[in-house]
Amino acid sequence: MAYFILKRLIQSVFVMIAVAFLAFSLFRFVGDPITQMTGVETSIEDQERLRENLGLNDPFVMQFARFTSDMLQGDFGYSYRTRQPVGEMISSRVPATLELGVVALIISLLVGIPAGVFTALRPRGFATQTILMTTLVGVSIPTFVIGIMLIFLFGVQLGWLPTFGRGGTIQIGGWNSSLFTIDGWRALLLPAITLGVYQLTLTMRLVRAEMMEVLRSDYIRFGMARGVPMRSLYFKHALANTMVPVITIIGLQFGGVIAFSIVTESVFQWPGMGLLFLESIRFVDIPVMGVYLVVIAFFFVLVNLIVDLLYAAIDPRLRVKDTA
Amino acid sequence: MKMQIISSSALAGGAMLLSVASASAESFKWASNTDPQTMDPHAVNSAPVLSFLNNIYEGLVRRNQDMSIEGSLAQSWEPLTGEDGWRFNLRQGVSFQDGAAFTAEDVMFSYGRASNEAADVRSWFAPVSEVRVVDDYTIDFVTKAPNPLFPDSIANFMILDKGWSETNGAELPARDAENFATMHVNGTGAFALASRDPGVKTVLVPNAGWWGKVEHNITEATFTPIGNAATGLAALLSGEIDFIQPIPLQDVAQVENRDGFKVLEGEETRVIMFGFGHEHDELLYSSDVSGSNPFQDVRIRQAAAHAIDIASIDRVLFRGKIEGASQLVPAGISGYSEANSDRPAYDPEKAKSLLAEAGYPDGFNFGLKCPNDRYINDEALCRAAASMFAAVGMNAELSTGPVRDYWPQLREDAFDMYLLGWSPGTFDMEHPIRFLMSTPNSEKKLGSWNFGGYSNARVDELLPGIQREVDPEARQAMVDEVVAITQAEVAYIPLYTQPLIWAAKDNVDMTQRADNFFMLRWVTVN
Amino acid sequence: MNAFIKRYEGLWLFTRSPAAIIAAVVALLSIIGAAFAPFIAPVNPYDLASFSLMDGLLPPVWESFGNSKFLLGTDDQGRDIVSSILYGARLSLIIGLSAMTIAAVLGVGLGLASGYYGGRFDMIVMRIADIQLALPAILTALLIDGIARGILPSEIQQDLRVTVLTLAIALSLWVNFARTARASTFVQMQKEYVQAAIIMGQHPIRVMFVHILPNILGPLLVIMTVDLASAILLEATLSFLGIGLPADSPSLGTLIRIGMQFMLSGEWWILWIPTLFLVALVVSINILGDFLRDVFNPRLR
Repeated sequence: MAYFILKRLIQSVFVMIAVAFLAFSLFRFVGDPITQMTGVETSIEDQERLRENLGLNDPFVMQFARFTSDMLQGDFGYSYRTRQPVGEMISSRVPATLELGVVALIISLLVGIPAGVFTALRPRGFATQTILMTTLVGVSIPTFVIGIMLIFLFGVQLGWLPTFGRGGTIQIGGWNSSLFTIDGWRALLLPAITLGVYQLTLTMRLVRAEMMEVLRSDYIRFGMARGVPMRSLYFKHALANTMVPVITIIGLQFGGVIAFSIVTESVFQWPGMGLLFLESIRFVDIPVMGVYLVVIAFFFVLVNLIVDLLYAAIDPRLRVKDTA
Repeated sequence: MKMQIISSSALAGGAMLLSVASASAESFKWASNTDPQTMDPHAVNSAPVLSFLNNIYEGLVRRNQDMSIEGSLAQSWEPLTGEDGWRFNLRQGVSFQDGAAFTAEDVMFSYGRASNEAADVRSWFAPVSEVRVVDDYTIDFVTKAPNPLFPDSIANFMILDKGWSETNGAELPARDAENFATMHVNGTGAFALASRDPGVKTVLVPNAGWWGKVEHNITEATFTPIGNAATGLAALLSGEIDFIQPIPLQDVAQVENRDGFKVLEGEETRVIMFGFGHEHDELLYSSDVSGSNPFQDVRIRQAAAHAIDIASIDRVLFRGKIEGASQLVPAGISGYSEANSDRPAYDPEKAKSLLAEAGYPDGFNFGLKCPNDRYINDEALCRAAASMFAAVGMNAELSTGPVRDYWPQLREDAFDMYLLGWSPGTFDMEHPIRFLMSTPNSEKKLGSWNFGGYSNARVDELLPGIQREVDPEARQAMVDEVVAITQAEVAYIPLYTQPLIWAAKDNVDMTQRADNFFMLRWVTVN
Repeated sequence: MNAFIKRYEGLWLFTRSPAAIIAAVVALLSIIGAAFAPFIAPVNPYDLASFSLMDGLLPPVWESFGNSKFLLGTDDQGRDIVSSILYGARLSLIIGLSAMTIAAVLGVGLGLASGYYGGRFDMIVMRIADIQLALPAILTALLIDGIARGILPSEIQQDLRVTVLTLAIALSLWVNFARTARASTFVQMQKEYVQAAIIMGQHPIRVMFVHILPNILGPLLVIMTVDLASAILLEATLSFLGIGLPADSPSLGTLIRIGMQFMLSGEWWILWIPTLFLVALVVSINILGDFLRDVFNPRLR
């Protein structure tokens, strides 16, 4: 097992390098950073000098080599736009995105699992059909439309919740958290719901499908035949077995949540990594884009590794081929 | 993120203000779609940065509510005798936010800093040959040639304290990594920085030691960038912010109809125009014309100009808020040519006959390039224009994209016709003549935004005269001649001046300046 | 034999599920409307000469300033909303179906091979999948757009925007197919019929596509519908972020982005009618997907 993990980690390094290479080689096509860094009155000469100083005229291989060697030494460069150290910029935004993602995931679980159980237990009921229909419509509306609608309903019309930003934050060690203030929670609610709708529906359907399958299994039937109380059957036996695949799915979902958060953060002006990335595209802030992608790549390989380990632990059939 | 702890002077200042203020002390929150990317006034020559920093730093001169130049850190100035240039007599008794006294040494230092290669504002000092400190409160700027507009052109040149900059390692604007001046300030202006979280939130507090007369009643001002227009509008309507600039045109009625909010409308000093590839011998994006460029024929350019119906564009796309433009600056700007203030009339029949005359009775195809995120309704405007061109037979294939891709494409000459908006930095006609009408010459720093390569020898001849002429009438005559020439040749098709649309709560009084700069010191919260 | 029984049962189930019937009808109407848009739509909204600014911002016909020429009103350029929706849906479906097909072919192909060969090939494919997952769809779209602009001559760039976008969306979807196909293939590889085929010396391609593929189709079909819906929504989101299609030949997603500007300003129809249409389309696709999932999983009945 340890050998397996080590091998995967080495492969992960290659993955990150590949991502960096791809992203880097394509950065020359996302626009001109110099015009974003200078005003209209800046002479062409000065612009060219800036281009030269930043090393943008160097051959691609040299630029890439510089980028990777810097990163390996922990030097993540400086933003073209604000001149801040990129490492600091990204790490300062991580708490916002992670908190949003985790809360969205928790909401999706807290609502999705009971909903899934309920609809599994009463498959033909009216309430079930309504729930299924509503969630279906929910995932068919583009995320940004949902977000804006929520903002205008709860923020403007009703005035109950803030329309943008993160609310009150508190520094805990290096972590800037908004989870400890009422203000912070109020600001977190709408973005988390927007982000969570998709995950909620997925979780609910999964729980429902798994639960319905388990309910038909033999040992449940035996339990019924033996007169074990339905409640005990449902919750102790059926639900427990349902949870197994759900848990493995959560790992994958979290990755999706991070990816989806870009749009949500944009709509709610949530100061997380996704918004930072979007803005770095807008301003052609290449250092930020590059580091962001490598960080995300690392994150994804980590999540995949954990999920694969879980899969292998649970389903022996998948284990045999995996250690090739 | 690096947050600057509230400096003690600012705190003391705030407390003092609370006790002294006549009106009730108010906190003010505002938003815009772009965050100022640095707190260093010499690092980037961009409007969001300069507008924001004009609240913290000051220059020798400044513009007041109606855009006219008045003294700021300089009380008066007069032309030098015996040589070309200007002498500035500085205000005495002014101190920086850290308590240091303001003297001519600081101006000298700031000049060196701003004209250095590392500064983005150095083009303002291109005409300067030497700067001399005469005494503590007098400083001379010697120019290479007579330059009547020089004081006007440095309205955004901001002065830093020499001692502070040197102590904190900020002698030059940051070119690679950030330095102290990127995140910290020490200005002479009405406000000081309380905290800075780039891209998230910036907070200002009044500067207790400011030399000027306090006309505002703000105790704390918080700026947040909001990138999404709908979210920004929601933030205003929910009351979370007091002011936002700009709001989309179509939401103006909404805001006005709601109780408690108002819209401030005006005209920005920005003219939107179409440009041509004068130097292109071939159309690049045409499917039916090869080997020649119809736009090199002035009749075709005239036809294009006559095909545009500004009145309809005004009514439908801009809800009546634009003014048609006849030349590259709006009416009221110094140098505006009254004599040539008519723009080509909407006359599709004339357009068609001109086309036929020029040998294209059935019209032709070409490519129209526009940005889609730079000017108000830029994409919609271009679609409407393409439709109008098509109506006279000139079939435009429209290509739009974000501005970060747009400028490189223009620089590479990848267009047949393009959209451009121009705001004259000096608020004078000479500015667009220099950047847009002059034959491109990178040595003399002329025509750097003249992508189409328009070139007229007489215009090039007249420009230095315009820059040096002291007599306003003689100068205007030369400008009039340039405008007449460029209009006759249809160098560009000036379309309209862009509207300024700000929205705020009813109880906030503020001034809207035509350069879209927002000054906190003119804000009163009632 | 298996497939035949499933089809017959599928039809039977279908007629008993009102949701599925409605969904199918909506989907069918949309698809027909979209496919025949050039014939059904009153005007061609992509033809710049067919509309005029003077007709801009007209409300639907039942409102006070409505015009019977424009049943559902016009947008800010004077384009007929009905025509825009039909042509837009067509473009959205073309993009969605193409992207989904490319993703399916690529993903299933790689997944099958991965499951079949295992070993180093599998490892490489999975690492490539990791790389793909790490690049958010937005960035993939951006970068492909950028490469296209850098490599292709400027003249044909506009025409290829649709292709570029389709490719970008396809690249963000193939991994799902690959992983599912791979996992199912692993399972099938243990079964006797596959092992028998291999021993009998049948060509790997034959084993993969003739023997294994039909037996793993179930979950793949479900992914196809889910991904079709995702592709359409992804295109709308990319449009919202500014990397979608140009505005003069819009898809439903682009129409929604344009409509967002008019959300509060009184011209509600420019946003909500295309949104409604998109939602109806995507809901139908999702319902059909649900339905397929139920059909292929008899234990859920």
